[in-house]
Amino acid sequence: MSALRDWIAERAPIAEIVEELEHKRVPQHRHDVFYYAGGVTLFFFVVQVVTGALLLMYYRPSAGEAYESVQFIMARVPFGWLIRSIHAWSANLMIGAAFVHLFSVLFLKSYRRPRELTWMSGVILLGLVLGFGFTGYLLPWNQLAFFATRVGTAIPSSTPVIGHGLMRLLRGGNDVTGGTLTRFFGVHVAILPGICTFLLAFHVLLVQRHGMSVPPAVAAASKASGRPVPSMPFLPDYMLRDLFGWTLAIGLVAALSAFLPWELGKKADLFAPAPAGIRPEWYFLWAFQTLKFVPARVLGLEGEFVASLAFGLGGAALFFLPLIDRNTETSRRIVTWLGAAALLYMIAMTALALRAGGGGPVP
Amino acid sequence: MPLPGPEGPVGRRSFLNWVLGTWAGGVLAAIGFPVIRYLTPPDVPESTTRFASGGQASTLLPNTFRIVPFGANPAIIVRQASGDLKAMSATCTHLSCTVQYRGDLGQIWCACHNGRYDLNGRNIAGPPPRPLESYDVSTRNDEIVISRRA
Amino acid sequence: MRRALWCTAAWACVVVARLGVVSAQTPMAPPLAPVSADQARAAFQNDVHKAAGLTCATCHDTAHGDQYVAPARTAIPKLCGTCHANAEYIKKFNPQLRVDQLARYVTSTHGKQNAKGETRVAVCSDCHGAHGILGVKDPRAPVYPTHVAETCGRCHSDPARMTPFNKPATPPAEWATSVHAKALLERGDVSAPTCSTCHGGHGATPPDVESVSLVCAQCHIREADLFRASSKKALFETISQPECVTCHSNHAIQHPQDAWVGFTDDTKCGKCHDESIPGADVIKTVRGDLDQLNAAITTAAARLDRAEEAGVSVDDGRAALREANDQRINARVMVHAFAAKPFTDVSTKGLQSAKLALADGDRALGEVRYRREGLAVASVFIFGFLVTLGIKIRRLDQARREPQKAKES
Repeated sequence: MSALRDWIAERAPIAEIVEELEHKRVPQHRHDVFYYAGGVTLFFFVVQVVTGALLLMYYRPSAGEAYESVQFIMARVPFGWLIRSIHAWSANLMIGAAFVHLFSVLFLKSYRRPRELTWMSGVILLGLVLGFGFTGYLLPWNQLAFFATRVGTAIPSSTPVIGHGLMRLLRGGNDVTGGTLTRFFGVHVAILPGICTFLLAFHVLLVQRHGMSVPPAVAAASKASGRPVPSMPFLPDYMLRDLFGWTLAIGLVAALSAFLPWELGKKADLFAPAPAGIRPEWYFLWAFQTLKFVPARVLGLEGEFVASLAFGLGGAALFFLPLIDRNTETSRRIVTWLGAAALLYMIAMTALALRAGGGGPVP
Repeated sequence: MPLPGPEGPVGRRSFLNWVLGTWAGGVLAAIGFPVIRYLTPPDVPESTTRFASGGQASTLLPNTFRIVPFGANPAIIVRQASGDLKAMSATCTHLSCTVQYRGDLGQIWCACHNGRYDLNGRNIAGPPPRPLESYDVSTRNDEIVISRRA
Repeated sequence: MRRALWCTAAWACVVVARLGVVSAQTPMAPPLAPVSADQARAAFQNDVHKAAGLTCATCHDTAHGDQYVAPARTAIPKLCGTCHANAEYIKKFNPQLRVDQLARYVTSTHGKQNAKGETRVAVCSDCHGAHGILGVKDPRAPVYPTHVAETCGRCHSDPARMTPFNKPATPPAEWATSVHAKALLERGDVSAPTCSTCHGGHGATPPDVESVSLVCAQCHIREADLFRASSKKALFETISQPECVTCHSNHAIQHPQDAWVGFTDDTKCGKCHDESIPGADVIKTVRGDLDQLNAAITTAAARLDRAEEAGVSVDDGRAALREANDQRINARVMVHAFAAKPFTDVSTKGLQSAKLALADGDRALGEVRYRREGLAVASVFIFGFLVTLGIKIRRLDQARREPQKAKES
């Protein structure tokens, strides 16, 4: 055994990595449960990659075959129903976990120096994950996905000058067609995974480099009392707890898939009128509802464009947050209040949208 | 990596690890079993919406027909007296009854209201308002395969 | 002298004109026929005869320039027949156009009465219009299938017109409640029968008792063939029962019910038969099988729905259910054989298909159970793993705390 170890050690830095991990410690305090959020998101991502690769064995990305191939997976492929339902549920849970991770990092101020790049890569990753959700939603080529995509890809068209071109780029044409499906498929299984792998590696590497951040209040209390913040070793203590959480997660996803299998609905009919109650998936509902409330014209510009601009500015503010936050107590408190306001706003808008449409998993 | 703490009776920690390992094996098997079964090809290698099997070619005699499922709907395959094969949708365009082939007439006939179609699917007599959708048909190793016209 | 002649002629014209106007204004005149010359001229702009190059003078006698006289009702058929019964002439305009309309008309009840001088029966212009005549294939024409019942109904729904002839005024209203009317007027199915389909258009006559089944047989050929081969045909002729109409009615034809088969008062068989007749067991078999088939199909459909709701697809079951439905239609047709074996041959097939559908539904529900059982097994492993892992983590924590306690103490 040790001969093998030596042989590998001469060639690959495995031992160095394990050595680093052995020294890593995870702080323990009243907010430490949120340290799991990133790992859970990563776990769901891995589930997505595995189930996604499996689905690729049978899925066909053309307008004439996509729906039927998903039907085939659900009906004829052994455990196809399970793989597909897991992929759909895990996608939603991953996005939920990503938001928990985002907001917990925001409230616990883990983005402070020297973790600015970790935060920024994380914001981009969130955008990519939402992109995964948006592109993946169309792939079964069913009625609701088709019309929701039509609505969703129409929003950029309100941008002055480049709007129409932007929409054509997204759609692969003027309208949502089989060309859009192929394009979204390429983005979903190749482009986004490629970028994500690189960014995720960067993000995780930085987390390992800087260790877990301690919230300002905890750090201050520790300084005042003179006692160091208690911590536990990452290996094996924290790793086992991570494993516990992930096993719980896989059990949850399996139970959801068995009791609430993801529906397929009807095949997309390009010539039928839009069915009532078209709306995007829950994680876009807050934006969808905002667009509904925005008046048709604001200050001489199209309402949708103004709202998109606002979202864009919000996204930029989020990205540059570590540079905007002066890291004084006042500054941090403002960020907490703004973050809470944003979270409440998103929850309120989502609730309103659900009440308007009916709610429940949308096929 | 050695951990501090009481060793206890020899193997208590390793017994726990063994139990843990066994449960972990079970979890991995519970994950692996569906994945392996998923990868094994199903009975029908692909969905029957673009292509469908029309059964054995040699058992479809001249001037007879066969109804086979094609996706969610029935299709009719006719072997003409000349030996040629024709295939089309078997759902009558009048009131959706399933049609059949009448060897005595050499035409497709719907028993419900006496509608008639020719072997190209065209509605030629009776109530049917539209033709039957024609399918491409070919034989491969004594198996008839029907597919939608591209 | 000349003045007197002119006056007489004028008087004669006026009388004749008035007569024409009066006859055009009798209560039997169809609402379609315009009364004034201006209206007539305006309507004629859309007429197929104008498009063919004909003028007012082609059909009307002129009297004093502009003043046209409406032809006498008893003369109209022959007037139209001048061209429309002349094959040589008509083929110049439309080689496909038939020329037997007049020949048929004179065999009809309308034609026979008209020949006797009766003005209260339909003539060509009543149904086709007088001045804005459209081709019969034009959907706006009063004789296009979707309008036929309305056109016939102008007289045949009016008790004032029907009573003098001892005819009921109910048939058009009755037909309007029928499945044929629904097919024609609601679904736009122009193959569905209207008045002229069964009664004939030009040769309109109610079918004779023996020929009813031949009329219905134009579409319902299987039922008619079976009926004619059965014992009922001769029997019904003997007792002057009008074949299909006996059970299905002639105008207010509704969807037949399986419950029509039986011995009670609300059944069709029960109107003539009771359980003592030799064929009673056939009636029992037919009804029993139909009920069984209905129940089997309903149960299978419900099972398949349940399976689909639980997330398992049942395409094979749906195909079998479709087959069962087809056989049920077939079985209902075989009722008209009025014999046990032909019927049970079909009903058995239907029951088999329904059984297959039910089996697929059960298989699917079994699949649901299998999934839940699989989940239970996986959950056991996961739970066991989690508990053991929890113990290990707790032990680890204790081990961490102990040396610290040792340090502190």
